[in-house]
Amino acid sequence: MGFFSTILGFCGFGVGVSTGLVIGYYLFIYFQPSDVKDPVIRPLVEHDSQSLQQLLPEIPLWVKNPDYDRIDWLNKFLELMWPYLDKAICKTAKNIAKPIIAEQIPKYKIESVEFEELTLGSLPPTFQGMKVFVTEEKELIMEPSLKWAGNPNVTLGVKAFGLKATVQAVDLQIFAQPRITLKPLVPSFPCFAKIFVSLMEKPHVDFGLKLFGADLMSIPGLYMFVQELIKDQVANMYLWPKTLEVEILDPTKAMMRPVGIVHVKVLRAMKLRKKDLLGGSDPYVKLKITESKAPSKKTTVKHKNLNPEWNEEFSIVVKDPESQALEFIVYDWEQVGKHDKMGMNVVPLKELTPNEPKVMTLDLLKNLNQNDAQDDKFRGQLVVELTYKPFKEGDTSKDLDNPLQKAPEGTPPSGGVLVVIVHEAQDVEGKHHTNPYVRIIFNGEERKTKHVKKNRDPRWDEEFTFVLEEPPLKEKLHVEVLSTSTRIGLLHPKETLGYVNISLADVVNNKRINEKYHLIDSKNGKIQIELQWRTSS
Amino acid sequence: MGLILGMVMGMALGVALMAGWRHMIRYRSGKRISKAVDIKSLSSLNRDDLKKICGENFPAWISFPVFEQVKWLNKQLSKLWPFVADAAEAIIKESVEPLLEDYRPPGITSLKFSKLSLGTVAPKIEGIRVQSLKEGQITMDIDLRWGGDPSIILAVEAALVASIPIQLKDLKVFTVVRAIFQLVDEIPCISAVVVALLSEPKPRIDYTLKAVGGSLTAIPGISDMIDDTVNSIITDMLQWPHRIVVPIGGIPIDTSELELKPQGKLTVTVVRANNLKNKELIGKSDPYVVVYVRPMFKVKTKVIEDNLNPVWNQTFELIAEDKETQSLIFEVFDQDIGQDKRLGIAKLPLIELEPEAPKEIELRLLPSLDMLKIKDKKDRGTLTIQVLYHEFNKEEQLAALEEEKRIIEERKKGKN
Repeated sequence: MGFFSTILGFCGFGVGVSTGLVIGYYLFIYFQPSDVKDPVIRPLVEHDSQSLQQLLPEIPLWVKNPDYDRIDWLNKFLELMWPYLDKAICKTAKNIAKPIIAEQIPKYKIESVEFEELTLGSLPPTFQGMKVFVTEEKELIMEPSLKWAGNPNVTLGVKAFGLKATVQAVDLQIFAQPRITLKPLVPSFPCFAKIFVSLMEKPHVDFGLKLFGADLMSIPGLYMFVQELIKDQVANMYLWPKTLEVEILDPTKAMMRPVGIVHVKVLRAMKLRKKDLLGGSDPYVKLKITESKAPSKKTTVKHKNLNPEWNEEFSIVVKDPESQALEFIVYDWEQVGKHDKMGMNVVPLKELTPNEPKVMTLDLLKNLNQNDAQDDKFRGQLVVELTYKPFKEGDTSKDLDNPLQKAPEGTPPSGGVLVVIVHEAQDVEGKHHTNPYVRIIFNGEERKTKHVKKNRDPRWDEEFTFVLEEPPLKEKLHVEVLSTSTRIGLLHPKETLGYVNISLADVVNNKRINEKYHLIDSKNGKIQIELQWRTSS
Repeated sequence: MGLILGMVMGMALGVALMAGWRHMIRYRSGKRISKAVDIKSLSSLNRDDLKKICGENFPAWISFPVFEQVKWLNKQLSKLWPFVADAAEAIIKESVEPLLEDYRPPGITSLKFSKLSLGTVAPKIEGIRVQSLKEGQITMDIDLRWGGDPSIILAVEAALVASIPIQLKDLKVFTVVRAIFQLVDEIPCISAVVVALLSEPKPRIDYTLKAVGGSLTAIPGISDMIDDTVNSIITDMLQWPHRIVVPIGGIPIDTSELELKPQGKLTVTVVRANNLKNKELIGKSDPYVVVYVRPMFKVKTKVIEDNLNPVWNQTFELIAEDKETQSLIFEVFDQDIGQDKRLGIAKLPLIELEPEAPKEIELRLLPSLDMLKIKDKKDRGTLTIQVLYHEFNKEEQLAALEEEKRIIEERKKGKN
């Protein structure tokens, strides 16, 4: 009797629990409002001390740490832009999701999946401070502290098997500390080629997921589990040192390294016009490549000749064969005053086939403006031979990302190549003049950089190589900053602005050192030297 | 018995579980919402808020200027500067050389860059302020200061004189740049950017001119002419209400709303002048008046010889683009062999004019519009003018815009 009633009791209990759950669901949960309200925000001055206590853990980093800067202007900007961003992102998300959903639906026998509500809410993400790091390398490092406690509302209505289920995601909160590195820096807008993003700590993610109105994420234990799961997944992909890489410009093109050489042979000119009143003209040709800082080159002057022959060769470095062109201008040399322009023409480099010499006869024009009806006068012709020789693949690809390189062929097996790169100096000042240049002495050999005129923070970026039989473990490199002045009558034409002796044992062990050294005999001067030790093994 | 008891207990448990779940939902949701509210209210603090939070421990190194400081941006900018300078040099040459051509004063036949290098010192941003003055637009004011050491060499050619390279050094720029972002509903959410220099505080560009291998006096008045050219370019192209509109690619937008359009027409009659200063050694000055709103569109009266109280009674029509900020400028000159001397200058802000109400005004002539440059208080006489401001309707506005474009085209052809 007892046994039977216990069993009945348990059955009753089971039935009761299920009924109770259903009743409870309808009583408490079903009628909950599912809309997301915009929260009311009171200004801080109205808060009392208790609610202020609550605020304290959320104090932004720029208040607490002096090395974080305030970027409230950016917060304001985002706040003003947020309504538009919200609509734009939701539109794009819908457009991307629709085809994917349309594909996947038939597989799972679902009738339809629709976005009943898609909005990112009224609260924009905020930046709680910005910190930047300054290193000796050519890169920009920024670390904004990002907090997004928003009130988005993403409601999906799934219809299947005659039933309708609503899934709603609300109250998304993401707190992260991303580190953004911009490198390498290149001389063409926007001046950096790639963006690297990585998270310094595991991000904090919190949200509510309502299924049939009941928030699954408020079940104790479950939400902690889901949060940890998301944290670990994201950390796996983006926790420092892993990064997300976004390429903005093609680094090899943007760095504007030479990709080839064009050999120009100026042969002759024909039927040039007389520019001088007495006697004939004295022509010479000036040639240069467009979009380049390289100085122009000149042929010799052929006096009193309207059909001169030069047969002179020149080599010009090419950085971008698609956009650069060769410009030829024929001038008339004058003893006194400005040289007269006799005519000019331009040859775009893309007209040349690589490694094929091409002889061209160019008509000399007044200028490149084709609508200039001022003259149809014949100014003669110029004959040139052009050969464009692009570099082979191996020659140009210097590993841009990896500064550690191998020694070139021909290095002794136990030795290597010591590369010294003089980057820049700061705060160098001479007593009488400041036109700094750097002199390097190593192993009895001396090398010098170019002179920079009147500059206390000169920049050279020059590279010197020394081939050695064995690693220079006990040697020192002597680096000296000097200044010379060309003014006549000075008692001190040459003076030293500071020096430093660098021990090379470190570079042999570390392969690459890039440091700023304080200069001896200088008040405040510093010099940045990069040393590399390349071996063939 | 047991069955019913079991069922009742079960139901109670079920209902209690659900109630408990709802309580948890409310609790968690409440927590999240209050956190969101906290973070939002902390995102734009001001001095009072911070005092309330920190009480006695208010950090001493925090300040709240109107223009927020951006130390981090300056650090990054100085690191990035060598690359920006390289990239910008080509672009500046391309875009500024045509401007030099357009605004070239008549005495100079050619004005071009022979060398352009922006130097090693980066500009510094003293502060940034963001506000929204109009629906759908964000206005960002950037306080820019640049004490650079650029190396700019201009090749100046004047009539009858050989070309002289003039070096511009020790460039100092103090100005507030206003960037207005027009917002739109599609990525990237900004359809166009309008850039202008605020006229209040007046942008300052100071530099020293040096002639390379020669002397500045070889071309008389050359430094004044270059100053004039630079000033004209700035006030006519960059200073508010003039602006540069840059559309952001990818979104088709009608930028005509953002561009500056003629707002109205000014009918100005230069009546007479009284008690002008005598600048001639023999006889009296030969005065004439130059009237303009924009330095690009100047009009001149006839010259009346040998008269310190001349009467002209000449009427001109000028276009006004922004009544709020523009003014009518009257310059009285004395015609001379060589360069004409300025006898006085007067300014009439257009904001003082009412539409369709003709006015006759007697203006006091000053030696200069820059209050700091006036060294003497000698009386330079008065200028009497009549002015009528007529506001355009839509068709007249379009017609005036077309007319303006036509005049600029003709001028370009004339110069070439």
